[in-house]
Amino acid sequence: MDLQRLKPHLPWITLIVLVAFVGMTDSNFLKPANLLELAGDIVPLFIMALGLTFAIYIGGIDLSAQSMANMITVVASVYLASLGLWVAVVCVGLGFALGLLSGYVTTKLFVPSFISTLAVGGVCFSVAQWLSGNRALNMDAEQRNALFGWMIGRTGIIPNELFIAAGLLALCLFIERRTVLGRALKAVGAGELAAAASGLNVTRYKMLAFAISGALAAVAGLLFSVKLSGGAPTIANGFLLPAIVAVLVGGTPLTGGVGGVLNTAIGTLIVAVIRASMLYFGVQATQQQMVFGLVLIAAIALTIDRSKLRTVK
Amino acid sequence: MYALKAVDKKFPGVHALKAVDFEIRRGEIVGLVGENGAGKSTLMKVIYGAYQPDGGAITIDGKAVRFQNPRQAMEKGIGMVFQEQSLIPNLTVMENIYLGYEAQFVRLGVINWKAMAAAAKMQLAKVKLDIDPATVTSALSFAQRQLVELAKVLTLEERVDGDLVILLDEPTSVLAEDEVKMLFAIVRELTKRASFIFVSHRMDEVMKLSDRIYVMKDGAVVDVVPQGGATVEEIQHKMVGRNVDREYYREQRQKPFDASKVLLELDGISLPGRISDISLKLHAGEVLCLVGTEGSGREAILRTIYGMRTPVSGALKIKGQAVGAFNPQGAVAAGVGYVPRERKIEGIVAGMNVFENMTLSQMGRYSRAGVLNVAAEKALARDWIGKLSIKAHSELADCGNLSGGNQQKVVLSKWRSGGSDIMLLDHPTRGLDIGAKEDVYEMIRDMSDDGVGVILVADTLEEAIGLSHSIIVLKDGAIQQRFDCQPGAKPSLFDLLHYMI
Amino acid sequence: MNRYLTRENAIRWAPLMVLIGLVILFTAINPAFFSQRNFARITVAAAPALMVAIGVTFIIVMGSIDLSMEGTVGLTAVLFCFLFLATGGTLAVGGWVAMPLILLLGAAIGFVNGLVHVKLRIPSFMASLAIGFVGTGAAVLVTGGDIVKIDDDTFRALLTWRIAGFPLMVYVVGGFVLLAWFIQSHTTLGRNFYAVGGGEELAHASGLNVRRVRIMGFVLAGMFYAVAGILQVAKLGQAESVSGANFMFISITSVVVGGVALWGGIGGVWNTVVGVLIVNVINNGMVVIGLPDFLQDGVLGLLVIVAVVLSTDRRSISFVK
Repeated sequence: MDLQRLKPHLPWITLIVLVAFVGMTDSNFLKPANLLELAGDIVPLFIMALGLTFAIYIGGIDLSAQSMANMITVVASVYLASLGLWVAVVCVGLGFALGLLSGYVTTKLFVPSFISTLAVGGVCFSVAQWLSGNRALNMDAEQRNALFGWMIGRTGIIPNELFIAAGLLALCLFIERRTVLGRALKAVGAGELAAAASGLNVTRYKMLAFAISGALAAVAGLLFSVKLSGGAPTIANGFLLPAIVAVLVGGTPLTGGVGGVLNTAIGTLIVAVIRASMLYFGVQATQQQMVFGLVLIAAIALTIDRSKLRTVK
Repeated sequence: MYALKAVDKKFPGVHALKAVDFEIRRGEIVGLVGENGAGKSTLMKVIYGAYQPDGGAITIDGKAVRFQNPRQAMEKGIGMVFQEQSLIPNLTVMENIYLGYEAQFVRLGVINWKAMAAAAKMQLAKVKLDIDPATVTSALSFAQRQLVELAKVLTLEERVDGDLVILLDEPTSVLAEDEVKMLFAIVRELTKRASFIFVSHRMDEVMKLSDRIYVMKDGAVVDVVPQGGATVEEIQHKMVGRNVDREYYREQRQKPFDASKVLLELDGISLPGRISDISLKLHAGEVLCLVGTEGSGREAILRTIYGMRTPVSGALKIKGQAVGAFNPQGAVAAGVGYVPRERKIEGIVAGMNVFENMTLSQMGRYSRAGVLNVAAEKALARDWIGKLSIKAHSELADCGNLSGGNQQKVVLSKWRSGGSDIMLLDHPTRGLDIGAKEDVYEMIRDMSDDGVGVILVADTLEEAIGLSHSIIVLKDGAIQQRFDCQPGAKPSLFDLLHYMI
Repeated sequence: MNRYLTRENAIRWAPLMVLIGLVILFTAINPAFFSQRNFARITVAAAPALMVAIGVTFIIVMGSIDLSMEGTVGLTAVLFCFLFLATGGTLAVGGWVAMPLILLLGAAIGFVNGLVHVKLRIPSFMASLAIGFVGTGAAVLVTGGDIVKIDDDTFRALLTWRIAGFPLMVYVVGGFVLLAWFIQSHTTLGRNFYAVGGGEELAHASGLNVRRVRIMGFVLAGMFYAVAGILQVAKLGQAESVSGANFMFISITSVVVGGVALWGGIGGVWNTVVGVLIVNVINNGMVVIGLPDFLQDGVLGLLVIVAVVLSTDRRSISFVK
């Protein structure tokens, strides 16, 4: 079998090889309970990566995702008491609206998404600091359990978060494969000029991609704050780069148009397994980041499908 | 001196060069002609080292050589003057001339700009171009850039000891008549030092300048004609494989259009710097050709009609409705279809399959509440794959992997299946082989029969004359002349050229 | 119309106009902004960031991107401290040896970065991001997460010794800016960055060794990051693995605000200088006029958007990602 045919399948092959490799060293790793635990832990990261996939799929980037999630933890903590379940709607709506703003600045004002999303991220950070008074906030435990407890419970041995993740993945997969929006985003990512010359309203679809990214970052923030039962303006720091990496490793290159949300699911798992495996291999805390970086280079070098990249910049 | 023996080159799905023999002697000017897609550009790329042949041998003075890249070819004295602008626009003229060969002006790591400017000035003098070598290239006219490219290649004269072979790819396409004359004078003068391979669509120029002419068709050299050995018609016959006659352009199928039904009306449309005061009418069943040189405003007119540009003055009416907001969505909704010149960039989305490309402009029709009816899309694609005999393994084939002709058929069926009745075709036959071209001509006639109005920017003047009901000649963004092209009473090439330049 | 008042000129000078406008704005709100002391504060704050931004300018001019700066700055800063202490702990004895060695180290990191990008054909965004991880990781590894301090008076003179009111490091940075400008406009390498950024395939067809130019660009960038690392130590008197934190976004934002196009070929060192000053003037100005802390990130974000909008030539781009 020639290598070109193999390329699109490399992400999940990498995942299986990694899992098998870690499993061989420590059989405890392969126990279903452990694997489920591992998967459950990364759900907020996964949801953020899922959103980022849309921004990257059209050839952009959303650097506001982390600040967005931060802000949402604060918003959720502050307004849970007064709004109850509606706080979820407010959070997702806010994420969608701010994502739309990023999209507007990118497409209508011609500011590269790199800058526009960063700036919107700054706005989110300001809002979070202002709302929280720069303190860590706590949710009322009883109210949290009553309204959002289902998010973090378990069904049998399966963490409920996994159902949320699966639900969102299914929804995103449906959008990507079966809707006008998904098709338009694919066209924009693979050939923006051709999409425009076919009469698609490219601007609107690009704005929507950023809005979806914002909304999903908000969901990630909401889940995170429920998990931690509180919020703070910097609580989700350290999410952004792993989320971007998850998208890239999964096989959605920054040039856009290829890959998709399913790839991101696999990419997130690869990132999670690499991280977890360091524990099993006894890599010291001080060495972990360096090893992570090296493994990352190897993983990206293996997984990206260069035939779809015109020039490597 | 320089020779190719049985050179072969294959690409996925295309046998681009079939055992080509080619030879050039010292001081000779060799013409290379062939239809688009006949393999000329592949052959040139092999000669200047951009492609490596799959089979056969390249020899210089009898010694076999193999070039890994253009630079190695340059070191053997083979230089290329590109048809497409190949100067880097953000660099100065002298930097472009010496790009990659700056070392001669560097002392202790510092570029001596004065020395480079002086040397560049000398190169520019060879092509009789008197400009400041420190000018940024993007500020030059097309003709000036063409001469700078020639000057750049002529630096080989100082750099290489052996013989020079210089390829000229369509060097006259953007030049005015006196500039062409001057270029030819320069080339003749330079034959003392170099051999030239001259590629052009303008048959009369090739015949005038070349000592011998290689005629290519379908990736093979079909004949080598010495100067004066054949007439223009005979060479064209060899290129096409049969007479280029009225049948080729389906002239017998040209029927009078319905003059009472105006589909499109432009009134005094202007875009500063591109077109000024353009007024024209397109009728149902009419093929209207826009003729002019590069940059004469043909593309700007198409793009304005399609809503990609907003004119500063003038009015556009589509089927009697005045257009207020200019955007492609509105144009598509009004029944306008656009087949862009850059098929691979704007025409099809590579990476998406046939059915996805076909419904790209009409997803609204194949969806409910934003959810696509994929089965219906596939059925549509299968239907048109059959109708136009598109060669694709199925509707799931990636459009990026189809041949040019089949890609163009996908683009055309995208609009035809959506019921567009105003078609804007920008170089629809560019880069297609003869068979695919004839298919496109057939489709244009079919459209006319269905009452579709077509505005065509043709690949060659012959094509424009052959296909059209009416021709509008443009120069510098303004309409010069209008011609009626009834079968049997068509204007000649020279009638048009007179108004073009 | 006046021949100096062309569109090209308007676009070229827009970032500088924005900078001047900001200075006038902040001065109008609080005259204390316009003082030599405050300018010294701005330039010191801007110094390391400017070195990082200049480094990445070369990469962006080529149409690539480099995100390894945080790791490179962190690692070079930390290793500089160790080397400095190991070679005597003061400039007067043997500490100066550390400087050229660290510059070489920066170049070496850049070299690896370039190799990974070019040889493994990984887009620079990902390659440099991963190299940045490795750099930060290595810094964590050698420090064990601790802070390393240097209190050599001769070395700290970079910050404490003032000439005409500005610390020595400002002049050092000025020297490196001149060096960068010289490389950009008077060396083959510098010009080749523009050729690659203006048309990579055309440059290749002209016989340019594009891969070598790319790798050299990353080497040069790495060296400038190392300068930033040393200056960061001089500024704070200490180094830790996160010494390079925040440099990534600040530097790239500055470069873009200054009018260097992310798609390559346009802009240069002077644009970056203006861009870095714009960002630092905004940062400083917000403090001087007493804007509440929590608002500053948001306002910086919005002002950056305004600055980019004002300083990009929208007619020359068909679409933006």
